[in-house]
Amino acid sequence: MASSNSVSGDPFLNVVGIHKRFGGVHALRGVSLTIMPGEIYHLLGENGCGKSTLIKIISGAQPPDEGELIVAGHQYHALKPLESLAAGIETVYQDLSLIPNLSVAENVALTEQLVATNGKMLRRFDRQLLARTSKHALETVGLPSDADFRETPVELLPIATRQLVAIARAIATRARMVIMDEPTTALTQREVDNLIRVINGLRASGVAVLFVSHKLDECYAIGGQVIVLRDGEKVAQGPIVDYSKTQLMQLMTGKQLDGRRYRTGVPTRETVLRAKGLGVSGAFADVCFELRRGEILGFTGLLDSGRNELALALAGVAPADSGDLRLDNELQYFNTPADAIRKGIGYVPEDRLSEGLFLDKPIRDNVVTAVLDRLLGRFGMLDASKGDGLAEHMVKELQIVAPNVMLPVQSLSGGNQQRVLIGRWLAIEPRVLILHGPTVGVDVGSKDTIYRIIQRLAEKGLAVIIISDDLPELLQNCDRILLMRKGCLAGEYDPAKMEEAELYHALVGTERDEVAA
Amino acid sequence: MNTLAARSSNTPNSLSHLASTPRRSLFARHPELFTLILIVLVSTVVGSINPNFFEVSTIFDILRSSTVTGLFALGVLIVLAAGGIDVSFTAIAVLCMYAITKAVLRYWPEAPFVLILFCGAWMGALLGACNGYLIHRLKAPSLIVTIGTQYLLRGFLLTFVGTVFFMVIPKSMDGFGRIALINYMAPAGSTAVLPASVLVLVVAATVTWFLLNRTLMGRAIYAMGGNLAIAERLGYNLRVVHVFVFGYVGLLAGIGGIVHASTIRLASPFDLVGSEMDVIAAVILGGARITGGTGTVTGTLLGVILVTLINNVMILAGVPSTWQKVVIGAFILLAGAVFAARRKK
Repeated sequence: MASSNSVSGDPFLNVVGIHKRFGGVHALRGVSLTIMPGEIYHLLGENGCGKSTLIKIISGAQPPDEGELIVAGHQYHALKPLESLAAGIETVYQDLSLIPNLSVAENVALTEQLVATNGKMLRRFDRQLLARTSKHALETVGLPSDADFRETPVELLPIATRQLVAIARAIATRARMVIMDEPTTALTQREVDNLIRVINGLRASGVAVLFVSHKLDECYAIGGQVIVLRDGEKVAQGPIVDYSKTQLMQLMTGKQLDGRRYRTGVPTRETVLRAKGLGVSGAFADVCFELRRGEILGFTGLLDSGRNELALALAGVAPADSGDLRLDNELQYFNTPADAIRKGIGYVPEDRLSEGLFLDKPIRDNVVTAVLDRLLGRFGMLDASKGDGLAEHMVKELQIVAPNVMLPVQSLSGGNQQRVLIGRWLAIEPRVLILHGPTVGVDVGSKDTIYRIIQRLAEKGLAVIIISDDLPELLQNCDRILLMRKGCLAGEYDPAKMEEAELYHALVGTERDEVAA
Repeated sequence: MNTLAARSSNTPNSLSHLASTPRRSLFARHPELFTLILIVLVSTVVGSINPNFFEVSTIFDILRSSTVTGLFALGVLIVLAAGGIDVSFTAIAVLCMYAITKAVLRYWPEAPFVLILFCGAWMGALLGACNGYLIHRLKAPSLIVTIGTQYLLRGFLLTFVGTVFFMVIPKSMDGFGRIALINYMAPAGSTAVLPASVLVLVVAATVTWFLLNRTLMGRAIYAMGGNLAIAERLGYNLRVVHVFVFGYVGLLAGIGGIVHASTIRLASPFDLVGSEMDVIAAVILGGARITGGTGTVTGTLLGVILVTLINNVMILAGVPSTWQKVVIGAFILLAGAVFAARRKK
């Protein structure tokens, strides 16, 4: 594989006329790309446009049906995972692809040895090399690199740290191309800034980077080339500075969209939920707020701010241990999610794949699961037709794109999955709907639909809480934004009267000079 | 806030809030400690009722009875670590034991023990490798495949190989079963004997430990047990791992079968099958998760000792032998509760 990558005229990777079909779906229709060393490529497109499939073909996880790949001058019809790795192609998968029970160090640096022995496994594994390689990679991405952290099984780490571990794996060895499939979904601004530094470092050392993100601001901040896919075809390629945000959104969706404020209604004066001195020891303390009917209240903060724990406490998943919470002026103790559901609090979790949806079950089953007691027919048996009716109503109401309600949720795109999950909580006819990262991993087109749905719900009198990292999302949708820092409420902001940059400064605290760009 | 800024200005690349390594309880890091505590508990209780328990002969008894279970358990450990399960190893063991004994008696009664053991190991490894290949090829759950092969192998044994007990086993096997590693003269005048067969377990445990902890194959086994699809995507050749893992179980089962016949000086085609659950129970009590990806050699050996202890010495405390299963069952539930709690933490 040792053709020289220093000559800037030689592409590292040529993808020629790739086709891929899944059953009746033609996922990729003759995509061709050229990836040069030392260049950054942003692969943009809506969910379901074929981005992930293309990545899997390049990384060797799936073979293409037609077309070929030329890696550093070597021609392949299909790559095997180990061939791709040996050629220096490293991938940060959307699902991170970490082995949960192995340690951080093993996840980061074991592949190096596997590649070195060409897949032969009856070899001694070099623990010194493992420690050295992982230490360096962890330091680069800004994670701790002490032995204690390196020995920790990945399953014990919070999701953001795992994402950084996955990134550390990709840069652990001398990669020649790094693919990052939505590497920033769980990261806060500060970590994203750090990642951008890492990517610039890679570019400077001649590594090609293929970066997938739904956050266009990040793409502009990183710079480089942009490749837009729509319905399995490449619709544009060129320097990202040549395209405006609106142009890119249009290319991706084929529709006209803009970054305007979605908020339509006004909150009523009637208070639904009142928290006073709410706290969970070790996470947050003394949180007080009021939520009115028809109001959309935003919470944001860095990962350690306690915002996630607050969401879990309100939903009864990890109950509060101090303070009181009143729903319609009535004191509540939510010790389990079932308590909260009974009182009409719907919670749409952040990680819809692992905490929310039953992926292999049909849309109907996912929608009705919180209201099974209402669907009982004679003799206490489930009445399937009532369930079908409810699910069909939600599919219509939430504009879920699916031919029927018996389709497994895993066959839907991210945006549609998220809508199914929202539908489940609307089915309980909630008083309060808590949305935790409602558009994480959702494409721009779907975001638009989800925001419109949220606004419509609020207009009907539902009280909504959005807990999110996505600052434009909060600014576009909320009546008020509460900022949390280090477990306390640190400020209240009026989104109608502020810019994103201002909120961002408030969020990251004192590191103003760094974010001037 | 200020301290945060100060820290990040010192080390611009370190994200301080991610630096906290999750704290885990002692049991979470070393589940085998729990097993050890149970062993101490059982020994104390039995010993306080019957002081005869604290004698060298008891330890020798337990070690002797642990040998074959231990060999099987090491195999089960590897399969569990790889995220599978195997219930056919007893059938492999008894087939190897009986077929080889029969063949040796008929064709070469003077065959050296090392050769017999070697044949047992190879025959077991081949049968196990077939399991592994089938599981990989059919993409079927290992439980289903090995239930199938258990019946198949046992049926084959009883139909085609024979149903007659061999009360006299080949001379070299008999000889091996009688070699004493330690002859201990108790003050009372009785002798306690530690047979050399224990060494087979020691060697097997050392090799298994090395394999799991010091080779890439070991890492691949845990990786596959952690998440099969991801392991494949990361470049591990799952066919090789599958064949190796089940082949290794078969190898240990074959050796276990030969050692078993040598120590009890009897080759019965009706032996062993049915004791799979005891072995799996021992490995679970040793801290391995049934869902895969965990387990240690130390824990497994302790689990085997615990089960053997319960099976062999509770009688010393005057507990009827029918109660053994009750105690093992209760301990498994207890272990399940403790290990489930360690995960929630």
